[in-house]
Amino acid sequence: MAETVKALIKRNLWQENQVVRQILGICSSLAVTNLMANSLVMGLGLTFVTALSSLTLSVLRNHIPHRVRMIVQTLIIAAYVILVDLIIKAWLPDISKQLGPYVGLIITNCIIMGRAEAFARQNKPVPSLLDGFFAGVGYTLVLLAIALIREALGFGTVFGLPVNVLGIDTWTIMVMPPAAFFIIGVMIWIAANRMDRKKNAAGQPAAQSKEVTRRG
Amino acid sequence: MKNGYGYTIVFMLLVSIAFGAVLSLTQVGLSPRIARNALIAERRAILEALAEDTTGGDQAILDRFTSLVRPEVFAGLNAYALTGDDGSIDAYAVPFAGAGLWGTIRGYLAVTPDLSTVVGLTFTEQNETPGLGGRIDEPSFKEQFRGLAIDPTQGLAYGPAGGNQLDAITGATSTSRAVLQILNRLLQETLVTKEAP
Repeated sequence: MAETVKALIKRNLWQENQVVRQILGICSSLAVTNLMANSLVMGLGLTFVTALSSLTLSVLRNHIPHRVRMIVQTLIIAAYVILVDLIIKAWLPDISKQLGPYVGLIITNCIIMGRAEAFARQNKPVPSLLDGFFAGVGYTLVLLAIALIREALGFGTVFGLPVNVLGIDTWTIMVMPPAAFFIIGVMIWIAANRMDRKKNAAGQPAAQSKEVTRRG
Repeated sequence: MKNGYGYTIVFMLLVSIAFGAVLSLTQVGLSPRIARNALIAERRAILEALAEDTTGGDQAILDRFTSLVRPEVFAGLNAYALTGDDGSIDAYAVPFAGAGLWGTIRGYLAVTPDLSTVVGLTFTEQNETPGLGGRIDEPSFKEQFRGLAIDPTQGLAYGPAGGNQLDAITGATSTSRAVLQILNRLLQETLVTKEAP
C-alpha cells in the first residue's frame, strides 16, 4: 500500500469521488443542498467524522475482534456524530435548526462506513486519516457544486447574498429534492463519460456493459 | 485469543465506556450553552411577535425581554405580556402549536388584550417544504398579520380582511391552510374564552 499522498487526494476528489463515482451519500446530497451554508456545514461535519473515525478505527484495527468489528465501527462513528451535533447546536443554532435530523443521520452515511471497511481496516493511521479527510472533502465539493446551482436558481442567492444578476424569476423546483436528483444525475453522467474516455485513451477497453449502454 | 468471547466482551466494554465518557462530558459541558441558545431563540421570537426591536446581540435580546415582557396567564395559556411604561398591558404573545403539512408548526401569535387586533406572528418551529411552505417564516408572509383587525368569533381568512389583504402562499396551499387552521383554533376556541377585561 504505497499510495502517495497526491494519488490519495486525486483518488478521493475525482477518480473515486464518493458521490459521483461511488454513488454513496446520495440521501444527504439530495436533502441539504438547497442552501450553500447548509451544504458547507454538512460537508464539514461529515469530513470531521470520516477523518476521525477512520483514524480511530485504524489505530484500533489490530485490536478489534473480527466478529464485532461493524458494531465497533458504528459505535465510534456514532460517538463522533453526536459530538458534531452538540458542537453545531452550541455554536451554530440557526444552522442546527435548518439541518434538523440530517446531522444525526451522518451516522448512516455510507461514505463513513465505506471508508472504515475499505480503507481504515487495512491501513496505517495517518493514511487512514488523510483518506477519510479527503473522501469528506470530495463529498463536500460535490455538495457545494449542487448547492451553488440550486441556491442561485431557486432562491437567487449564494450563501444568502443576492446574486440574481440576470433578473430571472426564482425557480421553485430547484429548492425541492427532485432538482438535486437531476443535477446529481447529470454530474454522474459527465464524470462517467470522462472516466470512460480517459480509459479508452489509455488503451484500456471500457467495461462491456457501459459500451452496450452507450450504443443503445 | 483475539476472537475469544472474553476478549470480545472486555473490548466492547472498554470501547463503550471510553466513548460514553467522552460524550457525557461534552454533553454536560455544552448543555448550558445549548439551553441558552434555545432560550434566546424563543425570546427573540416572542419579541418579534410583539413588534419589538429584535436587533442586537444575544445579551441585548435577553435584556430587552426582561425589561419589556413578563409571563402572564391569558385565557388559560402561559402567555407573555408586553407591558407599557405605566404598567398596563399592551399585548399578549400566545404560544400555538398544530399540524402543518409535514410536521408540527409552533410559534407565537401576539394580540391586543381586547382581541381586536393582531400585533404579530412568529414561528419557532416548522418543517414545511423549503421554498414553498417554508416561506411562512419569511417577512412577506408574517408581516401581513401585523395590525390586522380581527373578530375572534369569525376567525381569519385569506382574501380581503379587516381593511387589509391577507394572502396565502402560492404553491403552498396545504401549509397556508394549516397555518390559518391553527390560528383560528387558537382564536375561536381558546382566546375567546378569556375573562372580560
